Amino acid sequence: MERIRALTDLRELEAAYGRLCAEEKVVEEELEALLEQQGTIENKMVALHRMGPNLQLIEGDARQLAGMITFTWNLAENVSSKVRQLDLAKNRLYQAIQRADDILDLKFCMDGVQTALRNEDYEQAAAHIHRYLSLDKSVIELSRQGKEGSIIDANLKLLQEAEQRLKTIVTEKFDLAMKQGDLPQVERFFKIFPLLGLHEEGLSKFSEYLCKQVANKAEENLLLVMGTDMSDRRAAVIFADTLTLLFEGIARIVETHQPIVETYYGLGRLYTLIKHLQVECDRQVEKVVDKFIKQRDYHRQFQQVQNSMMRSSATEKIEPRELDPILTEVTLMNARSELYLRFIKRRIISDFEVGDSMASEEVKQEHQKYLDKLLNNCLLSRTMQELIGYYITMEEYFMRETVNKAVAMDTYEKGQLISSMVDDVFYIVKKCIGRALSSSSIDCLCAMINHSTTELESDFREVLYNKLKLGFPATTFQDFQRGVTSAVNIMHSSLQQGKFDTKGIESTDEAKQSFLVTLNNVEVCSENIMTLKKTLESDCSKLLSQGFGGEQAQAKIDSCLSDMAAVSNKFRDLLQEGLNELNSSAIKPQVKPWINLFLSVSHNIEEEEFNDYEANDPWVQQFIVNLEQQMAEFKSGLSPVIYDSLTSLMTSLVAIELEKVVLKSTFSRLGGLQFDKELRSLIAYLTTVTTWTIRDKFARLSQMATILNLERVTEILDYWGPNSGPLTWRLTPAEVRQVLALRIDFRSEDIKRLRL
Amino acid sequence: MHLVPPVSRDRVISHFPKWYTPEACLQFKDHFQAQVRSACHQRNTGTVGLKISKVVVVGDLFVGKTSLINRFCKDIFDRDYKATIGVDFEIERFEIAGVPYNLQIWDTAGQEKFKCIASAYYRGAEVIVTVFDLADIQTLDHTKQWLEDALRENEPGSSFIFLVGTKKDLVSGAACERTERDAIRFASEMQAEYWSVSAKTGENVKEFFSRVAALAFERSMLKELEKSNGRMAQIGAGNLIKLEGNSLDAPESNSQASLSCC
Repeated sequence: MERIRALTDLRELEAAYGRLCAEEKVVEEELEALLEQQGTIENKMVALHRMGPNLQLIEGDARQLAGMITFTWNLAENVSSKVRQLDLAKNRLYQAIQRADDILDLKFCMDGVQTALRNEDYEQAAAHIHRYLSLDKSVIELSRQGKEGSIIDANLKLLQEAEQRLKTIVTEKFDLAMKQGDLPQVERFFKIFPLLGLHEEGLSKFSEYLCKQVANKAEENLLLVMGTDMSDRRAAVIFADTLTLLFEGIARIVETHQPIVETYYGLGRLYTLIKHLQVECDRQVEKVVDKFIKQRDYHRQFQQVQNSMMRSSATEKIEPRELDPILTEVTLMNARSELYLRFIKRRIISDFEVGDSMASEEVKQEHQKYLDKLLNNCLLSRTMQELIGYYITMEEYFMRETVNKAVAMDTYEKGQLISSMVDDVFYIVKKCIGRALSSSSIDCLCAMINHSTTELESDFREVLYNKLKLGFPATTFQDFQRGVTSAVNIMHSSLQQGKFDTKGIESTDEAKQSFLVTLNNVEVCSENIMTLKKTLESDCSKLLSQGFGGEQAQAKIDSCLSDMAAVSNKFRDLLQEGLNELNSSAIKPQVKPWINLFLSVSHNIEEEEFNDYEANDPWVQQFIVNLEQQMAEFKSGLSPVIYDSLTSLMTSLVAIELEKVVLKSTFSRLGGLQFDKELRSLIAYLTTVTTWTIRDKFARLSQMATILNLERVTEILDYWGPNSGPLTWRLTPAEVRQVLALRIDFRSEDIKRLRL
Repeated sequence: MHLVPPVSRDRVISHFPKWYTPEACLQFKDHFQAQVRSACHQRNTGTVGLKISKVVVVGDLFVGKTSLINRFCKDIFDRDYKATIGVDFEIERFEIAGVPYNLQIWDTAGQEKFKCIASAYYRGAEVIVTVFDLADIQTLDHTKQWLEDALRENEPGSSFIFLVGTKKDLVSGAACERTERDAIRFASEMQAEYWSVSAKTGENVKEFFSRVAALAFERSMLKELEKSNGRMAQIGAGNLIKLEGNSLDAPESNSQASLSCC
């Protein structure tokens, strides 16, 4: 209001008035809206008033309901507590009945035991005792505190006495039956032990009995062995046979008695039985092996072998062939042991597996540990390890000596590409590895593979290398031709003797022959090693699939075999070296002069000479004939693979040498054409003697021929750079200029001006 | 073909592991050779797939060869002594400078009676580890014989030699130092690198094997590179005749080509 009063300006007053008018309108509208609502609100109020009494009714009902629920709850609580009491009462009743039963049982047992013992019905007595032992100890304790405590006490005492008596009786009877070797009685009392809770004792007593049987049988066998005639068919492997009998006997015992043990002693007990048996097995094995060592002079032979290996000049070198039977026997013995140990292992594992199906991981590991200990620490496996250790050294010696012998007795027969020693050596290596394989011991096999690899890599490769080192004697062309004929003569004469002596190489022809044969030998060796590796791979996978070898066996074998494969490559390298030697000492000295003859044929020629050349070829035909003659000898003397490599080397050589002489010559236009013709016929010939394309090797020469055939210097641009099309230039720009300069009719300024 | 899980983190070696003592150490350097590094970087690690080096562990019985290997490969230590029969074998996978690499560890028996079989496994060893017991000075004396036996089966100079003293936890600091002095003298005579370790506590075990792996890896890489370079040069030289003027820079371009495309 103050503000409005203060307003003096008409416009401002009007504005204030307008504002006030608008406000008034809004207020009026609001009032109207409120009035409209009045009716409905009043209606609602009336309805509310009517509902008042109903609410009071509801409140009363709710109170009643609450009272009812409380009552029901109390009732339920009451009932369930009574049920619980009833339950407790029932349980106690049951316990009471159980105890009464137990007490009755106890009495019954006691009476039963007495009568059974009197009747010597030990099974029945043991069953009673078993029942007594399975009673809850606390029940018995409790019963003693009852009113009839003293009676029960007395009964218990009687029972315990009966138990002790039964135990002694059973033990005595068992011992007696064992002494008499009465198997049914032994088995009868064996079944009683577990009923008396004497599992371990029963097993150990029973094993004792079984061990005795094993021992008797083994002794018998050993006596038989000592009496065996040396001419017997199996005399050479008699100890392996004895071991086999021993193992088979034990296996049969395990086989027959496993069901009894399982039924009466429960699962997981086989380990205990076998552990006891293994002790006897070890004892018997020791005896057999001792006899073996004594009779076969194993240690002395080993000593001798070791001495021979230390001092290569030893005079009393042991004859490798003498070792052959003993090596076979040792591997056979080990194979039998491995087979037996695998049998034992499988049996125990499966027994443990069933027994431990509910056991914790720790128990399983514990059992696994027991098993490993039994298998690895038993005297049998240690003894065999020792024997195999000696075997390895002796087998190595056998292999080395026999290989040396094969090398010394090497012969070559005409018509054969290789000499006898390659087949012999691989036969020996295969035999030795095969024997190691037959021992079923992965470590032994791997060791022998390693020794073979070493033997092949160092010793045998050395032999071949030394032969190659003698080199292929270089001869002039005439000598060479004579050489071929005389070599044939010598071969004829040696054929009559049936032998080709490679030891004393006197003549160059023999040296040549020896060199070529050695090359073939090297190649075959490399092939043979790969074949041997493959055969061994499949053999080993067979062995492993039978369950021999530990967890890392496969990896061990793979590693050793890959070592062996690497040696194959070393032979391949040696072959390459030999070929290079052959190429540089035999082919190059011949080929070079033939190619140099190219220089004496002028290529700076006119029409007349060109035609003359057409009629009387000046160089290339003779060159081809010479090449053919030279390669013929190699073709017959080398294996196709090596011959191919050699021709490849030869063609490379020809290409290189020809390029050299071309760069020393000069050409006219027709001379270029002549060279092109010559090159074409040469390539055509070489294509027929090689199995793969040689175009690549002659690419540079062909391109030179193209350049030498140009009409004008600038014509090169039609073939160069963007115009080259599918042609890839092997010549550098500088070389192109150099070749262009060979044409006497091309001016050097033109060549210089070329933009390449 | 089944996929191999990636190499575990602690088998990844990206920096050249350090030596144990500078007094007996095979190589003083902190990095892989440039050649090897670049080859690894460009992944041209040769034609054959995985590189493997063979490690042979030798030494007297009961010095702890198997324990040393078990600590490294399985991270376990078993107090009970169990003699190794013949040979044991482990493959340990590494990734060195980004390249997968395997060490093949042959654990030989120390007992005299198993020597015949064990010695058959010495051949082709890239690394020979001779082990002795720091608490038993005699075993150190015997290392020379062990090494001699192992070297006989290998080409001279082809193997790295390590001398390792075990059971460091069993000897006092002073005694250890005394024995180490002797051992270092032995090591330099053998041209070996010396390490003191404890399989029980695990001290230096991982470091030692990392060092072994890195050195063996580098050598096998160098060998591979040399071989592929050689092959390349041979092919190049066989087909080309270099003109007089070009002959000087020819080998250079050759080796360059082989570096960039092998």
